[in-house]
Amino acid sequence: MSHVVDPSVLMELSHVSRVYGTGEAAVWALRDVSMVIRAGDFLSIVGPSGSGKSTMLGLLGCLDVPTEGTITVGGEEVTRLADAARTRVRGQSIGFVFQQFHLIPHLDALGNVETALLYRSLKPAERKERAMASLERVGLGKRADHRPVQLSGGEQQRVALARALVTEPKILLADEPTGALDSKNAANVMEILSSLQATSRAVVIVTHDASIANSAARKISMLDGGIVTDEILRP
Amino acid sequence: MSTFKDLLRVAFNGLFARKVRTLLLLLGPMIGVAAIIASVGLTDSAKGDLKAKVNKLGTNLIEAAASSSFGGQNPTLPTDAVARALTVTTVEKVSAVVELSNIVVSPYEEASDVFETVPIPVLGTDIYLPDVLEVELVSGRWISDFDAQKGARSAVIGVGLAQEFKFLPGEIRTIELRGIPYAVVGILDSVELEPGFDNAVFISFHSAEIDFLDDDAEPNKMYVRCLEGTEKDSADALRLAVNLGGPQEITTEIKSEALELAAQSDRQLQLIVISMGLLAIIVGGLGIANVMSISVIQRSAEIGIRRALGHTRQIIAIQFLLEAIAVGVIGGIMGVLLGMLAIFIGASLAGWVFVMASWLAPGGIILAITISVLAGLYPANRAAKLEPLETLRLG
Repeated sequence: MSHVVDPSVLMELSHVSRVYGTGEAAVWALRDVSMVIRAGDFLSIVGPSGSGKSTMLGLLGCLDVPTEGTITVGGEEVTRLADAARTRVRGQSIGFVFQQFHLIPHLDALGNVETALLYRSLKPAERKERAMASLERVGLGKRADHRPVQLSGGEQQRVALARALVTEPKILLADEPTGALDSKNAANVMEILSSLQATSRAVVIVTHDASIANSAARKISMLDGGIVTDEILRP
Repeated sequence: MSTFKDLLRVAFNGLFARKVRTLLLLLGPMIGVAAIIASVGLTDSAKGDLKAKVNKLGTNLIEAAASSSFGGQNPTLPTDAVARALTVTTVEKVSAVVELSNIVVSPYEEASDVFETVPIPVLGTDIYLPDVLEVELVSGRWISDFDAQKGARSAVIGVGLAQEFKFLPGEIRTIELRGIPYAVVGILDSVELEPGFDNAVFISFHSAEIDFLDDDAEPNKMYVRCLEGTEKDSADALRLAVNLGGPQEITTEIKSEALELAAQSDRQLQLIVISMGLLAIIVGGLGIANVMSISVIQRSAEIGIRRALGHTRQIIAIQFLLEAIAVGVIGGIMGVLLGMLAIFIGASLAGWVFVMASWLAPGGIILAITISVLAGLYPANRAAKLEPLETLRLG
């Protein structure tokens, strides 16, 4: 399959289906989905439970492979890659933010951010410097030596953001990033996410919350394993 | 290389973050190794002084004595027995003696009534005996070439006899052998492998011939030093070489054999305690496997996020395996130290010599690491197989 690589296309899903189980028990979580994520996108994927958005998140994050169809990241077809190579693509191109933060409890904020930079042949000093810079970017430079239990929910999510950003990913995937936060902290996190909109990067928010979804620039609505609408809300 | 450093850092962070759990993990290999080291060390130490003695005396002294299966009186060795013995290539040194019987020995003539009843062995010998027995003279000198050739009546006495006859060090005195005065030229130190020599009198073959034998002095016993480790073969070869198909028969005895037997540790006891130590370390290994498996479940979210951040399955597996290895190394070293302490305390209390075989420390640590690696394989594999999508519980 010859392919002209468009540098503005960060990720492309082409006729992607994901089926769980086989035979009569087969469940089509995604059915023939095609979409493109471009540099500069500030995109939300919204849908109710069971609409297939979690499956979508797994595929976009290269945590899962589709049953049918192909996914390319930066022109590289990840659906052909073995697990270890796919893991490397994930580490290089994708940053994650989760609803439950998923910080490592025994590491302080700096250690958590540094975890994303391990096994990359970086000198410890350089790694620390980059992690610190990333923490300062989310306004938590002074909390670098705090463990997750010593941080508020909002702060924890900002540490998770710093961790996701420290590797300079092409695509930032946020899964219900405000789901575990109060409205004030939620607004703060959304503010940071929207500020990350850059020409070289895409921010993808997966949510069931319509108001969060509507604060994005582009909105994809899902239902029953398919894309219903893909609309530009703001230029 | 930097990847390996990262792995080490993560593994130690993981261990250090859960101190109590890590300490519990350490107990297994530590107690197992300590038990094995203490058991081997203590059973060795119990015989330590005997072992040291055997090492000091050497195991390579063979006694070859004339014997007679026909019950003949005073069997002897061939006159050239020494030369024949030296034809055995593993033989290093030989000295011959003839044991003379029924010679009354007294410190001076007037004392013969007092000392008559004490049987004292008198031996005719060559100039090599102290060298072969590896024994020193307390004072004076051994029988010299001159004594041996000219028949000077020189005698060397054992240190026990010197004490009995109340010799002063360096004192010039004579001794009466069957009434014939001999000059005492030296006092021989104790010979551990031949305690009878403590109370013996040594004179030259020549003097023995002239004063106490009817015919030529033929040796009836030889002391032979052979190359270490060839004792049995040398003894066999000696019997053939000295006999040469002739009428003289000889028997051989490796002098240190009895002592070595006594110095041997109680292997059965050692085996029992080693088995118990092995059991402890295996149970410890199962403990590591168990605790780490639970830990993998507890840390599944951490593993998931690490996988999402780009750490490969291999990295995750190695990281858990390294935690297990670190437990093995630290537990092993602590076990060795604990075991050594146990030997030291035990040996001190019982008044033994501290003995610890050189293979024990590295062996113990290697054993602990092996068990830990085996125990860590299963949890490491489980950790690597976790699917990040399942552990992260996406919203």
